[in-house]
Amino acid sequence: MQTKIFFVATLFILLSSRMFSQEILQWRGTERTGIYHESNLLRNWPEAGPALIWECDSIGNGYGSPIITTSTIYVNGEIDTISYLYALTRSGKFLWKAPIGKEWTLNYPGTRNTPTFVDDLIYVTAGLGTVACLDAKSGKKVWSVDMATDFHAPMVRFGFSESLVVNGDDVYCCPGGADTNIVALDRFTGKIRWICKGLGQMTSYCSPALIRLAERDILVTFTKSALLGIDTKDGTLLWSHKQDSEGDVHINTPLFEDGCIYYITGDGNGSVKLKLSADGKEITEVWRNGACDNTMGGFIKLNDYIYTASYGRRYWYTLDANTAKIVDSVKFDKGVTIYADSMLYCYNEKGQLGLFKPNGPKMVPAGSFKVTRGTKAHYAHPVICQGVMYVRHGQSLMAYDVKRR
Amino acid sequence: MHMKTRSSLVFLLFTLMPGLFAQQLTLTQILNNYYKAGNFDKLQKVNSIIMTGNIVQQDLMPVKIVRVRPDKYMMQFDVADLTAYQVYDGQTAWMTTPWTGKAAPQVMPPERATDMKNRADIEGVLFNWKEKGHTPELSGTDTVDGAIVYKIKVTRKDGGIEYNFIDSAGFMLKKRLSFRKVGGKEIPVENFYRDYRKVEEIPFAFTVETNNGGRVNEIQFDSVELNKPVDLKIFTMPEPK
Repeated sequence: MQTKIFFVATLFILLSSRMFSQEILQWRGTERTGIYHESNLLRNWPEAGPALIWECDSIGNGYGSPIITTSTIYVNGEIDTISYLYALTRSGKFLWKAPIGKEWTLNYPGTRNTPTFVDDLIYVTAGLGTVACLDAKSGKKVWSVDMATDFHAPMVRFGFSESLVVNGDDVYCCPGGADTNIVALDRFTGKIRWICKGLGQMTSYCSPALIRLAERDILVTFTKSALLGIDTKDGTLLWSHKQDSEGDVHINTPLFEDGCIYYITGDGNGSVKLKLSADGKEITEVWRNGACDNTMGGFIKLNDYIYTASYGRRYWYTLDANTAKIVDSVKFDKGVTIYADSMLYCYNEKGQLGLFKPNGPKMVPAGSFKVTRGTKAHYAHPVICQGVMYVRHGQSLMAYDVKRR
Repeated sequence: MHMKTRSSLVFLLFTLMPGLFAQQLTLTQILNNYYKAGNFDKLQKVNSIIMTGNIVQQDLMPVKIVRVRPDKYMMQFDVADLTAYQVYDGQTAWMTTPWTGKAAPQVMPPERATDMKNRADIEGVLFNWKEKGHTPELSGTDTVDGAIVYKIKVTRKDGGIEYNFIDSAGFMLKKRLSFRKVGGKEIPVENFYRDYRKVEEIPFAFTVETNNGGRVNEIQFDSVELNKPVDLKIFTMPEPK
């Protein structure tokens, strides 16, 4: 009997890890949607903004966001052309830093990606093409590959910037090589599991989305002039959606909801809605709106509306997700949008962080303040975790108390 | 036409005239009004000006402009998040262009050095023009942003020509048209000065739009600080490493 119980328990544990989704801490929240599942946050900010709890001003140069586990904050930063993974305590104290590889410094110098954390392993990229897996406790490198030398990745204009997707035992990267366009690696060894030739185009800085359907999982990402849908089982290219421009910067993570894919580019088609067939093998364009563009600030979809900042016009737009029409706008320059506990958080390139209450198409202001600490451009996406808003500005990471008391 | 109607028209014309036409003023009168509107009496007592803000193109590029009497100028700005400098130390104009991959500072060519020297002049070419060797002349009127302006041609001491457009109502500088040589060709550079705000009773344009041969950008200043101490070392060209 005891043996039987032990067998059932073991089977349950083994099956659990495969049947239930992994808890992944990653770019723009656990689902890569920019939505943080928080509660009891401030509905209005005081004039000076929420209280600053701490600042760590020595995390190296970069634009990537942190991820936060129960005990540790991880964030990438560049010092003297080397990309490091930094580990900090939850109170912002330095624990250790581990080298990843050579970082991009020709323009916008600094790290680009956000680490991906799964089961005490962390997956990162560096601007010149390193993809690495590190032990989350020690920072020790488990394995690494170099997309430039191992996968013949052509160098891009702004450095490799992808925040990696982990799915089961795989981690995906997009070298953008002619024959090694998208590559799935065994996330424990770094060995190649499959290679997708895609359309043979160079990478376009996109942090992909993962769509889970009954029949298959689909990796959705951009290369230079197309959105690609790839079967994660074997790397089959299922479909692509062409961009009607010469631009190659398609950074924003696409969104899948209710059978439809939404994406917004600043350098391509603007805002687009695609219908995905039930088996995931086909797409049909539902609408597009070239006037609603965004390069790297992401977007938030809530019910019938999409909220995002316009790249060209420096306004925040509300887009009707059914009709593609811009139904409202707010003058707040341009930047990043995230969402938590019924509120939109908008971080613009002038360093102002604004809190807005989405009310149908309207974005109702509920306070703003200027981030005065840190260095260089205000591009990093804020993160909210357990009542704390983390804002990275270059070499500084700041923690603000946004909990309602 | 009835006498009454004609009188009304004449009255209306006279009422509207100041708004429709600039007053017939001499160059000296225009310049005196310009100095007064700009509070040049007070401006002459300012030793340093630090202006900070952003150059707005597709990117926002932080910018800081420092002027120190009599002839020092520094513009620090970010391109692709790389910090660059354009500086005049009173004798030498130098710059850095990190986006080209070159870290070392370079001496500017003579034509650009002249422009930098003019930028260092806190009051500009229209003030004390005789002592500075410039020659202004009134070239009639024009319109800028819908306002009637006096167009003043200035032949600078260096031989360059520029036009300054002064608002006929408020006597503030609304536009400057100058020329710079690129590959042997003269490219017009238009600066539009907007959003004047007073800092310690002296008006400054907080928005400057520049059309540089078709390339348009705008500087939006957040702050203007007067008479702050400035370390003069910032104007010295660093030795190559």
